[in-house]
Formats: sequence, C-alpha cells, structure tokens
Amino acid sequence: MSTMTAGDRPVARRKFDGWRWSGRVFLAFMLFFTVMPMAWMLITSLKTGFAAMQYPPQWWPAEPTLDNYTRLVDPRSKVGQDFLRYFWNSMFVSTVSTVLAVVVAVPAAYAFSRFRFPGRNFLFFAVLMRNMFPAVIFLVPLFILMRLLGLANTHGSLVITYLTFGLPLAIWLLKGFYDNIPIQLEQAARIDGATRFQAFFFIVMPLSTPGIIATAIYSFIGAWNEYIYAYTFLTKHEQLTLPVGIQRFFSENATDWPGLMAATFMMSVPVVVLFLVLQKYFVRALTEGAVKH
Amino acid sequence: MGTVPGQAIFTDVPVVPPKRVGLMRKVYRSRADYLYVLPAIVVMLIVIAYPVYYTIELSFFKTPASLQLKDKVFIGLDNYAYLLQLPAFWKVTVQTLIWTVSSTLFAFVLGLGCALALHREFVGRGILRALLLIPWVVSAVAASYVWKWLYHSDFGAIGALAVQLGLTSEPINFVDNVQTALPSLIVVNIWKEFSFAMIMLMAGLQTVPDQLLRAAQVDGANAWQRFWHVTFPHLSGVSMVTVLLLTVQNFNSFIIPFIMTGGGPVGSTHIWITHIYEFAFQRQQWGRGSAYAVLLFLIMVLLGYFYVRALTRGDSSRAGS
Amino acid sequence: MAQVVLKDLVKTYGTVYAVNNVSLTVNDGEFVALVGPSGCGKTTTLNLVAGLIPITSGDIVIGERVVNDLDPKDRDIAMVFQNYALYPNKSVFKNLAFPLEMRRLPKAEIEQKVMAAAKVLDMTHLLQRKPRELSGGQQQRVALGRALVRDPAVFLMDEPLSNLDAKLRVQMRSEIKRFHQDLKATIIYVTHDQLEAVTMADKMAVMNGGYLQQYDSPAEVFANPANMFVASFVGSPAMSLIPLEAATNDGNVVLHSSEGWNLPLSAANARKANNAKSKKIVLGARHSTIKLHKSAAPGAVPAKVYTVEPTGDVTFVQAFLSGSVVNISLPPSVPVSSDEQVWLEFDQDRIHLFDGETEMALHAS
Repeated sequence: MSTMTAGDRPVARRKFDGWRWSGRVFLAFMLFFTVMPMAWMLITSLKTGFAAMQYPPQWWPAEPTLDNYTRLVDPRSKVGQDFLRYFWNSMFVSTVSTVLAVVVAVPAAYAFSRFRFPGRNFLFFAVLMRNMFPAVIFLVPLFILMRLLGLANTHGSLVITYLTFGLPLAIWLLKGFYDNIPIQLEQAARIDGATRFQAFFFIVMPLSTPGIIATAIYSFIGAWNEYIYAYTFLTKHEQLTLPVGIQRFFSENATDWPGLMAATFMMSVPVVVLFLVLQKYFVRALTEGAVKH
Repeated sequence: MGTVPGQAIFTDVPVVPPKRVGLMRKVYRSRADYLYVLPAIVVMLIVIAYPVYYTIELSFFKTPASLQLKDKVFIGLDNYAYLLQLPAFWKVTVQTLIWTVSSTLFAFVLGLGCALALHREFVGRGILRALLLIPWVVSAVAASYVWKWLYHSDFGAIGALAVQLGLTSEPINFVDNVQTALPSLIVVNIWKEFSFAMIMLMAGLQTVPDQLLRAAQVDGANAWQRFWHVTFPHLSGVSMVTVLLLTVQNFNSFIIPFIMTGGGPVGSTHIWITHIYEFAFQRQQWGRGSAYAVLLFLIMVLLGYFYVRALTRGDSSRAGS
Repeated sequence: MAQVVLKDLVKTYGTVYAVNNVSLTVNDGEFVALVGPSGCGKTTTLNLVAGLIPITSGDIVIGERVVNDLDPKDRDIAMVFQNYALYPNKSVFKNLAFPLEMRRLPKAEIEQKVMAAAKVLDMTHLLQRKPRELSGGQQQRVALGRALVRDPAVFLMDEPLSNLDAKLRVQMRSEIKRFHQDLKATIIYVTHDQLEAVTMADKMAVMNGGYLQQYDSPAEVFANPANMFVASFVGSPAMSLIPLEAATNDGNVVLHSSEGWNLPLSAANARKANNAKSKKIVLGARHSTIKLHKSAAPGAVPAKVYTVEPTGDVTFVQAFLSGSVVNISLPPSVPVSSDEQVWLEFDQDRIHLFDGETEMALHAS
C-alpha cells in the first residue's frame, strides 16, 4: 500500500446523484406551476379584448399593447378615476390600520415577553386564539356594531376591524423578537440608572426595529389583501378598496379580461415589491416563534 | 453518603414551604405591568370579545332580515337543530373536510419537497425562493381572478394547452362542472399556500445540526436514511405548527371559492365559511348564520388549543422579572 | 464606597427556596466572592442585591440605607454581566456614557469621565467601535469600564470571566484584582469557579441549595471547612472524604473500616470523634497531607492505586481506600503504577473529621 502512487489509485467516479437530480426536476416543475399563472396574467393584460377572446389562445399577443394599463392610471377616464380612488382607499386603510396595530402591539408584546403578571398566560392564549378564528365569526356582530357606531360604509369600520386580526398577529410576532433580545441588556440599563420604561425605550426599542418593520409589512399586506370585510361593510362605490373594487371590471356577460388582469397585476405590485425589498424581515416574521433555534 | 452534601445542613432553619401570596396582592404588585397590555386588551375586548359574545347570543334567536334586532325572538337551540337536520349542511361538511385535508396535505408535501430541494446552496437559489413565495403574498382575490381566467371554459389557457398537447379532445370545463369544480379550486388553494409550508420548513431545516448529518454519514446512512432518522425528527415541531396553521387557514378559506364559483355549481364548492356567509348575508338569516358560526367557533377553539400548545412549548421556561 | 449587609434574606419561587435565610456583611472596600455550584442561589442573591428581582423577606442594606424596595437605578450600584450586556447598537463611548446620561450629567463632564475610565482600562483607541467589533477580552473591559465610570458604592459582578478563554481568564483575573486594590472598591463577585474565589477574594461565601454554607477568608475556608460540602467544593483536587466508623481498640479511639483495618486517632481527634451524634465519622484529608508508603508502615492503612496522573512537577494519584477514592500528590520521582498495593499515612494534625449524620465539621470542644 505504501508504494502506491497517486496515479495507481483507482479514481472514484463521481456517482450520479439521483436525489439531487430529482430535486432539480421537482423544482423546475414547481417553478412552472408557480410562474405560469402570473405569466399568463401579464400576457393577457397586454392583449386587446379581441385578442384575449380567441381559441386557440394567442400564446403571445399578436399586437402587444399597454392600453389596459394606461387606462387604469389615466385620471381623465372613468375607469382610471375609479381605479386610482380604490388604490388610494386601500393604501389609506392599510397604512392606518398597520400603524395602529404596531403602536398598540409594541408595549403589549414587550409585556408578554418580559413580565410575569397574573393572567398573563390566559391573556396571551386569548391573543393567539384570535389567529384561529375566521372572519365570518366576527362578520355579523361587527357589521351590526359598525351600524350602531355609525361607522357603516366608512374606512374607519375597516381600520377597526383589521385590528382584530392585525393586532394579535403583531403581538405574537413582536413577542418573538423581544424574546430574542437578552434580558441582561435591560437589567444593565436599569442598573445604569434607567427606569423600566427608559430601559425599554432607549435600549430595547432601537434593537427591535427590524422586528417592528417585519411586523408592519406583515400587517400591511394582510390589510391590503383583505376582502371579506371590505366586501360586506362597504357599499358606496367611492369607498371601495382594491380587492372589492376590481369586481367592477367583471360582469356576467362581457368581462373585460385584459383589463381585469391589468388591474390584478397593479393590485399585486405594492405587496410584491414590499415583499421583495424586505424579504429577509418578512421571512423572519413568518417563521419566528414556530422555529426554536 | 446518600444525600448531596450540604442539603441537610442548618437543620435549625425550619423547612416549611413559603406562604403563597394572595392573588389580589400579586395583581396589585404587578399593576404597572398591566399598563403595557391595557390598550391591546381594550381593543381586543371591543373587536373580539364582544363579537364572539354577540354571535353566541344571536345563535339562540330568530332574527328579522331587516336587522331590526329589537324584534328578535328567542328560540333556544332551534337554529342548531335546523342546521344539523339540513342535508346541505352535511354535504357542505364533507366538502369542507375534502377541501381542508387535501389542500393541507398537498401544500405541505409540495412545500417540504421545495424546502429540501432548496436547502443546498446553489446559484439563483435566492431568486427561486422569492419567485416561489410570490403566490403567498399576492392577494387571494388576484389569484382567484387569474385562475378563473386560466380555467375559462372557452378561452382558458389550461384547457387549450391540454388540447394542444393531445391530452383531451376539447377544452375541459373545470369550474362549471359538479365533478371537477372542487378539485380545481383545491389546486388554486395549493398554488396559493404551498410556499408558506416551504418557508416554514426551510427555517426548520436550518436548525438541523450539520454535525449530526455528518455523523450519520460516517455511520453509513444513505441520503434517505439521513433524512428519515436525522432531518425529519428535527422538523417535527415546525411541521406540526405548519400543518396546524394550514389546516386552520384552509378551514377558514373564503375568497377562492366565493369569487371563483360562489359555492356553485349546485353548491358543490360550498365550504362552511361560504355557506355561513350565504345564510347571513344572502338569505339574511342572521340567527342561523350565527349558530353555524358558533359551531365553527367550537372546532376552532379545539384546533386553537393544539396550536397554542405547539407554539408556546418552552415559553414559560424563559426567566423574567 | 460602602458596606453591604444582607439580613435573613429569603427569595422563594412558588414553594421553592432559591435563597434561604442568608445573612452576611460585606465591609467597605472588601472583595467578597459568592461561590457555589450552579443553582446554589448565588446569582439570585446578586440579583436581589441589585434589585433586579424583588426579595421575599429579609433586609438589604447598602451604606446606611435599607434598599429593599428601591429601584436598581436608585441603589448606587454597578454591575458586570456574564455576557457583558453591552448595548449592541451603541459605540463603546456611548456605552460608557449611558449611565452618566441617565443621571443627566452635563455633556462636558460625561466626556471627561468616559475618557478617564477609558484611559484607566487602556481602551481610548476603541471608543468609536461597536461592541461586535471587539474581542471577548475587549468587551469584558468595556463592561468593566461602564461600571467604573459611575463611581458606584458597590460593584456587582456576575461570572464576568466565564465567557473568556482560559489564558485570557487568568490575565483578566489579575486585572480585576488590581482594579479592586487601586479603587478600594466594595465588590461582590459571583463565580462557580472556586479557584477564582480563592485567588481574588478577601472573603468567600460558599453557597449550596440556597443556604450560605460558610463565610470566611479563603485561607480559613480552605483550612477549616465548616462542613463536608465546603470541604469537597473548595480546593483542587477535592478533599478526599472517607466514611468510617468510630470504635475503641485497647481503650483508644480508632476509625474502623469495613475493610477490616483501624486507624488510631490522636487525643485531639479522639475528642472530636466523641462529639459526633453517632458512630458514623467521615475522614477528610487534602492530597498534600497524605503520605504514600510502598510497604506496610505503622499507622498507615492499605489502599489500591487506581490511576496515576503526572502533571510535570507533581504527580496526582487516585487510590481506593475503604471503598472511597482518595487523592494523593507525590513528587514525580516516586514510581507508582495502577493496581499497585500501597499504604497511606494521614497527618493527624491536618485531617478533618465530619459527623456522618449532620455532615458538619467536628470540633474538639
């Protein structure tokens, strides 16, 4: 053996790695499955109404056009006015409910993470339970409540309602972030002369900024995509948010499919951009708590 | 030396269990802590506790369609009895189970496959992950419209593709057919949420210690054995949470069936939620709708119990002051 | 600087005593080490002094004030944490300045004090860095600096060296000792490493199971351990403890082994043995006080060598004696091998006798 030189040694041929290859094939299939509907949405949105309604379909538009998009953002056309108004409504409702959810959730999440007060477990349980409940359970009573409060048909009704799911989620996500900040930092701050609140405000808050951003994106996307309450609570068409308003492109007999596809594309842009830019935080927020490191 | 040295020392100090501090005193002592949670509690009382209470209350009443609720009539459990005797209720229950179980199962399996395939570092992995995650962030409304268009009976891309590939002689009528409607919708739902399972499991995979995998390799385990004996047990916790969340999410789905088929054709795509919505807001039978919602609520409490248990394991061991 | 008095201090969690009736006085300028195995209550005691957790009963006095209900910020203390607890988003300068800013000192004064502290600890060149850009030893020094800059009445240190590697730990040990001597500071120092306590502290408080076991100078604790726990915890290698039985042979008090031999006791030790509550006596001896014979000798008892560990200047031998393991140190020139039959002779003036039932040290009077 000792006389064997490198050249004599049998060279182990790299084995065909079946697992790796089946993984690649699988990924390719999933990529097609994922991307195909989005691609078809884009392609359709570039067609004229006539081109869309053909059999067999034009796999690539014969005469690509951006008309469907220019129409949506043209403030002079009726469609454009509506679309821009819905867009603005969605933006307003999502932003306000996100800010409110975060402002209320920050101290609550901090308390759940750090303090041991009687009733803590019960309250936290109640918070988490909310994640389990479908919107429908709250729909009837909240509908009645909003009418009682005179908030029917206002954006206020949506903002308040969105807190029902935004707040518990925000509390849960933020608690996960606070759990990961060592408690010794606050202890050190308190010994260094800070009150409990100062320790929270000067030391913990700056450290939890990524968590707050993640939580905010999360509640924003949730509010932006919300459909059922908006559909039920709002009847005046100038109040509608995008997911509901988009239905106006839809009528049983003559659906403007290219227009609808352009609108769904525009509706998806803000959340997808937010997601892509802040992907790291988003993924962290999503998996925080479920995975213990 | 049976006992640990030092434990039995100073026997003159009485070893009595400490006095239990009264609840009121404990509450009083931590009164400042409550200030942090107070705003959240107030909001949640108004928008969560009150509606839950009100739904339960309404479920015992016959309500006028006009929602003039002073005219409601107490009828005890009649709403529940009505529902449980309704054949449509049982049909919808079966559909709900099919919808929930198959969506959850396929989303989880596809998500697991993607997570494993994406676990190894390669060029373009980040982009691939982001692309696969997009269906999860776009709204279900957008997804519903896009798929409705893909499934279109005359001009749908999927039907046309099937014909061009020679799979069928004419385009399949996906969503207007009692047999195919529910499975077609389930595909949309899986498209929407498989990447949620993927991202959760990817995070879970990162907690699998490399050393253990290497040790298994040295011990002669092949790829499948390494997955089954090392990786999978490490994923059990996160898998449980993921499956639970998917189950809950699917049980509570509304948008996809509501927009794509509205529960039709002939109720073949109704699930509990859309059915409840129909009772309450289309037939305006608020009491019956509420009773239906209470049934759903009870099931959710049960699932919720397991969810919270899975999420908070180890939570109380964190020390704090 | 100030003295710290703990009086009948108790901390309970539910029905468990974490700290049980601990009383001790730390004099002004004294360096006291709280030492014990993990879970013994030493860190809880320190946190009680700091005010990070509320006490169940008893009193804590810092200087002239009873501080039981004061916030940590009002107790005039500084603390160094095991993981340093440096504020990760602040520069070293800002970390050092934070305690002063919280006291609303004027800016110029803050700057001057921070610079002075940085100079003492030789880290003026690090002031603009963030904690994560520092090595473990540097982080440790910043943590010390943050405590130092305040000029507090008492320094509390919670295992400040345990995150450092062995070499740095020895170096920082002498730095902290120097720091104490220069400042004449009152320091309460928690550690699980008895060697740190012995080498650095003026006094050590040995704790176990929430109880204070012994509070005295390291030399005294080493020479006269109050009970079997302290005896086995302090000193390395640990004191050998051999359970035996008191008996009389020809009118003399002896310790009888189940292996059949008797160890005669001196008159002083016999008086000690007579004070035990029962016949059960535990013989304690440190490795350096046991003499090893290669053949039978008067007063020596038979043992069997188990392992031999040469360390260079000393060879440690572990031997079985009456079913217990005994540590012996030898000059490396003595040849011993495993499984060899040897005879051990105990120095009657330097052995310890413990009551087998109460585990307390036995005294002659």
